[in-house]
Formats: sequence, C-alpha cells, structure tokens
Amino acid sequence: MTRYGMLINTKKCVGCYACRIACQMVNGLDHEEAFIKFDEVEQGTYPNVYAEVVPVQCMHCEDAPCEAVCPTHATYTTDSGVVLVDEGKCIGCKYCMAACPYGVRVQIEQTGVIEKCRFCWYEGEPGNPPRCVNTCVSGARIFGDLDDPESEICQEIARTNAQPLASDLTAAKIYYVR
Amino acid sequence: MVWGSMIAWYLFLAGASAGAFLTSAFVEAKYPDSVKMRVAGRIIAPIFLGIGLLMLMLDAEAGLHNPLRFFYLVMNPGSVMTLGVYFICVFMPVSVIAALLEVLRRPVPKWLTWVGIVSAFCVAAYTGFLLGVVKAYPLWNNAILPVLFVVSALSAGLAATSLVGLVTDRERFERMWLIKKSHVILSAIEMVVLVTMLIIVSSGSAEGAASVASLVSGQYAPMFWGGLVLLGLVAPFAIEGYPVFITRKVETSTTSMVVSVIGEGGVLVGGFMLRLLVILAALPVMYL
Repeated sequence: MTRYGMLINTKKCVGCYACRIACQMVNGLDHEEAFIKFDEVEQGTYPNVYAEVVPVQCMHCEDAPCEAVCPTHATYTTDSGVVLVDEGKCIGCKYCMAACPYGVRVQIEQTGVIEKCRFCWYEGEPGNPPRCVNTCVSGARIFGDLDDPESEICQEIARTNAQPLASDLTAAKIYYVR
Repeated sequence: MVWGSMIAWYLFLAGASAGAFLTSAFVEAKYPDSVKMRVAGRIIAPIFLGIGLLMLMLDAEAGLHNPLRFFYLVMNPGSVMTLGVYFICVFMPVSVIAALLEVLRRPVPKWLTWVGIVSAFCVAAYTGFLLGVVKAYPLWNNAILPVLFVVSALSAGLAATSLVGLVTDRERFERMWLIKKSHVILSAIEMVVLVTMLIIVSSGSAEGAASVASLVSGQYAPMFWGGLVLLGLVAPFAIEGYPVFITRKVETSTTSMVVSVIGEGGVLVGGFMLRLLVILAALPVMYL
C-alpha cells in the first residue's frame, strides 16, 4: 500500500516562509489564511542558543482526531493515507479545529469551510511533489511513500532517525529532523 | 479560541431547555395543582432549544450558506456531535408537541413525558461529552465536565421555570418545598463538582493548570468569581437555602420576592458563565 508522508528538516529550514506563500498561491488562500504555520522554539544552552523554526501543517494522522469527531464525514482519509476535506459536506461547525492538537485546521473566510493541508491533492493524487516541497530553497522537505523502503523519504528517515513532533498525541505522518 | 459566545449560548440554552422539561415533569408528578409552573417548563423547553439551535446554525457558516449540508450531520455516529443531533431529533419534536398539548389544554400522555425525560437527559449530558471527548484541551477532557454540565443544566432549567412560577403563581410556588430544596441542593452539588474538576484538571497537566489559573487568578478571574461563583452559585445557595433550611417559613414580602428573582436570575447568569468560561479558558496541549 502507498502511504504518503513528509519529512521536514528544521536544521535545513531557514525560516523564509516561501513554502507558506507557495501553498497559499496554489490553494488560492487569502493572505491571512495559511495551511502552514511556523513555531519558534528556543534550543541549546547559554551561550550557544538559537531559535529553531518549526514549520507545522496537517500531519495527516493515521488516527486523525479531526476525522473522528467530524459529524458529517466531511473529513476523510484516502486509500493512500492523505486526510482530505469534502467541501460539499462541511458545515463549518469547527469541531475538527477543536480536536486537532496541532491547531492546523483553518476556516476559509469566504466559504466558512474548515480546510487544511491536502498534500496538494488534485485529481485523485497528491502533488508530485506538493508545492511546499519543490519551493523549499534549502531542500528541507521530502515527500514520498512511507511504505516503500526504497523511497527517498524512508531512506532519509532511517538515516536521520526523524520522528513525528508528538508521537504521544497522534500517529502523525510528517517526520521531523530536529 | 475555536468557539466563542455563540456556542456558549447554545450549550447553556440546550441544557436549560432539558432542565426545564425535567422540572415540568417533576412538578407534574409532585405538584399536580401547580399548572402554571408546569406549563411554563413545557413552553420554555422548546423555545430555549430553538434559540440555541439557531445560534448553532449561525455559528456553522459553511452550513448556513448551504443549509442542505446540515442533513449530513447524522452521518458519523462515532462523533458526539452526531449523537447530539440524534438526541435533539427526538427531544425537539417531543418538547414541541408537549408544549402544544399544554397550550391546547389537552393532557400530555405519560409515554410522551417519559420519552421527553430520557431525551432531555441525553441532550443535557451530550453537551458535556461534546467538549469532554476533545483530548486537545485538558480543561474539557475529563470525566467530571459532563457531570458538571448536567447538574448546571438541571439547575438552570429549574431556575428558568421557577422564575415564571415566582412571578405568576407566587403563593403556590412558595409552598413547593421539594422544588426549593432541590434547587439549593443542586447549587451545593454544583459547587462541589466545580471545585473537584478544577483541582483534578489543575493537577493533571501543565496546560490544565494554566487553564485553571486563568480562571481563578488570571484574566477570567472577575467573570469566574463574580459571575459564576458569587452570582451563579453562592448567592442562589444562600438566598434559597436561608428560608428552606433556616427560617422554614413561607415568605410573602415584596423584598423576599426581589431577592428570590435575583437568586433565580443569578443561576441563569451563572449557567451561561460556566459554559462561556469553560470554552474561553481552555488551553490546548503543547505538541512541541
């Protein structure tokens, strides 16, 4: 089975926000609406400290809490493990926004629908790769099939021991090198 | 914060609606002569719930623009919101029919009252579980919150119905000791449950502790102490408790009536405050 996921290397990320802007353009988002947000974490011990920029977006969780609580089944998971929103079913109740521990579900002002990163899903397939990946100036993002041990993402996860942000919260499919 | 005052209004009105229906059933069983209060409870139930549902639909913007999408709400029985829709689909028509029968001076069949009682209880409880199952917010994700919401719902429904009884049928109302006693006891239980919840949530996680701190000593402290604790719990407890458990005499003075109105009104304000504060003060778990 194909199981799409992503790897984000915060050691390579320069915090330029190009991925967010590219995402906003490809998804037709308003400048205040974004599927990618950036958290800053203090790292290191004095005097060797730095601010780590952590890009955060939908983790496409295997056990997506947003999907579990969605009363209309507007949120669903494809066979390839991508969590999507069926706009035609979403009533905008915001239950998914409350359930998502990463706070990455966004209400689209014009329609009221609660959207999120969809790995640039279009015509039954995710982006090849999604726009944030091929926009990244420092190559901090890798997209691919987590079930294919030969894929670039699996090799890189194995090599760097990349981990999800919070494995105690959900079974996320975005891995981080930190 | 994801939700705001609209959802707080809905949670309050749905709970008070269920409480009002249960109060009217209680009045019917224990005080068959108190017609005005029974009818008041029956009428308050569908009106409160109707207003609440309106709030809910206004808040769900995508559905508001495409109302047919609301039919999809029955699709996911695994979601507490869908379960709530099932309960409301029973309780709303039952309460409307019961209210209509009362207005038309027809008897409400026993079985209908029982269906109403069960569905009213389910509606009151689901509003607590709706928030209770959300793991991302420690202030919500505990077993005590649904209990607190049910107790508060009963108290608010009783207060709304009592307010009508107090104004329209005072002489009889002042002699309904069971109603008055239940009211005082509910306030006491609510205080205990609230304190329990705050202690447990506060000790459970850093985010929970921060949420509780924002209530008792932070930005929400004025609303918490003034609106919820003083006006919503302590004042009604003292105002109702004093004549019921201390002086044990029937009050007839205008002063006592004004004080009682403040007590009943306070319960309603407190009921709304509780939902609003629980929604506003909840902080999400940290993922970094």
